[in-house]
Amino acid sequence: MLRILYVSVTASTIALGSLAAALVPRVATAAYRPSPVAPHAPGAIHGRVEVRATGRPPDMRPDPGGLGITGTRDPVDRRRSVVYLETAPRAAFEASPDRRATMNQRNERFVPHVLAIVAGTYVDFPNDDRTYHNVFSLSKNNDFNLGRYAAGHKKSVRFQSPGVVRVFCEIHSHMSAFILVFAHRFFAVTDDEGRYRLDGVPPGTYTLAVWNETVHGDPPRRTVTIGEAGDEVEADFTIR
Amino acid sequence: MCTWRRLGLLLLLVIGTPAGAQAQWLPEGPITAARGTVTVAGEATVTVGGRDDSAFFNYTDYEHNALRMLRVSISGMWRPAARLAFLTELRSEDAQRVIPYAMYVRVRPWKGRALDVQAGRIPPVFGAFARRSYGSDNPLIGYPLAYQYLTSIRPDAVPFTADDLLAMRARGWRVTYPVGVTTPGPGVPLVSAYRWDTGVQASGTAGPVEAAFAITSGTLSNPRVTDDNGGRQLSARIAWKPVVGLVVGGSAARGQFLITTVETAVAEVTGRHGHTQRALGLDAEYSRAYWIVRGELIDSRWDLPGLAPPLIDGPVQARAAYIETRYRFTPRFFAAARADHLTFSTIRGQRRFAGQPTPWDSPVTRIEAGGGVYLQRNLTVRLVAQHNWRDAGQVRNRTYVSAQLAYWF
Repeated sequence: MLRILYVSVTASTIALGSLAAALVPRVATAAYRPSPVAPHAPGAIHGRVEVRATGRPPDMRPDPGGLGITGTRDPVDRRRSVVYLETAPRAAFEASPDRRATMNQRNERFVPHVLAIVAGTYVDFPNDDRTYHNVFSLSKNNDFNLGRYAAGHKKSVRFQSPGVVRVFCEIHSHMSAFILVFAHRFFAVTDDEGRYRLDGVPPGTYTLAVWNETVHGDPPRRTVTIGEAGDEVEADFTIR
Repeated sequence: MCTWRRLGLLLLLVIGTPAGAQAQWLPEGPITAARGTVTVAGEATVTVGGRDDSAFFNYTDYEHNALRMLRVSISGMWRPAARLAFLTELRSEDAQRVIPYAMYVRVRPWKGRALDVQAGRIPPVFGAFARRSYGSDNPLIGYPLAYQYLTSIRPDAVPFTADDLLAMRARGWRVTYPVGVTTPGPGVPLVSAYRWDTGVQASGTAGPVEAAFAITSGTLSNPRVTDDNGGRQLSARIAWKPVVGLVVGGSAARGQFLITTVETAVAEVTGRHGHTQRALGLDAEYSRAYWIVRGELIDSRWDLPGLAPPLIDGPVQARAAYIETRYRFTPRFFAAARADHLTFSTIRGQRRFAGQPTPWDSPVTRIEAGGGVYLQRNLTVRLVAQHNWRDAGQVRNRTYVSAQLAYWF
């Protein structure tokens, strides 16, 4: 199930809640809770997300209509997770200058497979393959279709609405990726070893959550507290 | 149940299902097993439309209506080694028997050389349409005439005279001739997209050029699992990709067409064996931005015996041409159209048409247009209108409206 993670930019709590149909992407909101102290002594949250059972990533469909062997491709790394604050300090929502990020199309894969950005970010989609690609998404509030374009060209999309964006290629059904659009900047994508780090977190108590594409249901959460002195907190997660 | 009621039910099904609500209970991609060496995918299409019991414009060689069909297919691949794979596609139409549409082994004999060999029930190398995945790669619902429309040619029965052939104009769904199998049966299309042939093929790539060659037991019109005449079909296609997005292909095929019993009976009269189907094809596809444009030209000739006057003079010929386009104007919505024409060479009868040169089957023109919406990436609804014209038959023109829900994983 897709799970849209949304941190409201307003001070009020808007419980959009789970929609009636359990199959519809659920929108969970969390309100900003003011930090008890001014954000002058920021701390950090770091840790590791261990994803134990990723299952087989989606592969190429059998192609009985094909006339030959298809090349092998590096499997998608489904252990890549995004750790984020479900609640964030007000300053996190202040307007930031235009940001850019890149999601390549290379060897019939989207690289990176998981991208996390702040709302308002432009994402470039360069085609680094020899073949056409047609990047598109049908995700609610962030749908787009870049059409077919050849190697050496790129097109861009500005993602304005927080949420999880499923990205596909219309030509190659085995290509897919995720873009997580946050309303604030307190998130991090785990590295090859599952490690993450959130810097500049003001003192306060927060709910830390993890998104991973293999998790269907509520995301793993932990409550963490950054002391007034700007502590460094370690929070590990295990996803089975 | 009437067409409009069926359409209503389909729309109700679609509208009553939230766009995002399918993801949980329908797989989004192929299922893998055995450490990724086994991959299984599927496709299901529910197509509703009006009956076609009098005009038979959309009947297929399995005697199903292409615009009114439930089709389920499961495809699987076992790839025990990087250069070895076993592939199959099982298909059922209208919940009837399951047919092995494809079942073959694929081998790349030399590492580092883009040369592949496939053996078994294999995809046709001729043309472009028949290898496409139907639910996900057909912008419309109907098939091009060349790949579906039943002509009055049969591999198991032949006309005695030219008048016999002319008598069957526009009756391809129920053809009867005095020589061979005399019970009525369907004719064949120029190229069957509903059955694949059995044999061996090799394909290779060198830069922008792809080439494929096949030896099979049937013909384009009449693909076979088991041989029925001891002959072999040779077919080949060369495709050129000068720039990304453009593919131009040329195809040719030649194979023995008539079944053995008919060949034997005919040879006793004419002394001639080896009646063949020969075909040439030209296909092209160009895509850019939100557009895809495809077209094909196919010329097919069948040798028919001249058994008695008025003789069928030389091979009978059919030519088909279609062009289709699709435009995706938003991430969810697209529109598509196809213009299609099928013509036939002329023959002279005696009793029929006052001995004037007359096309041996009735030329057909078809226009199909419609649109669709992606409810999700792999769940599509299409609605099309198709109009057909021909100059013979009890029903000479007819419009069909058809809707389809297509899902694949």
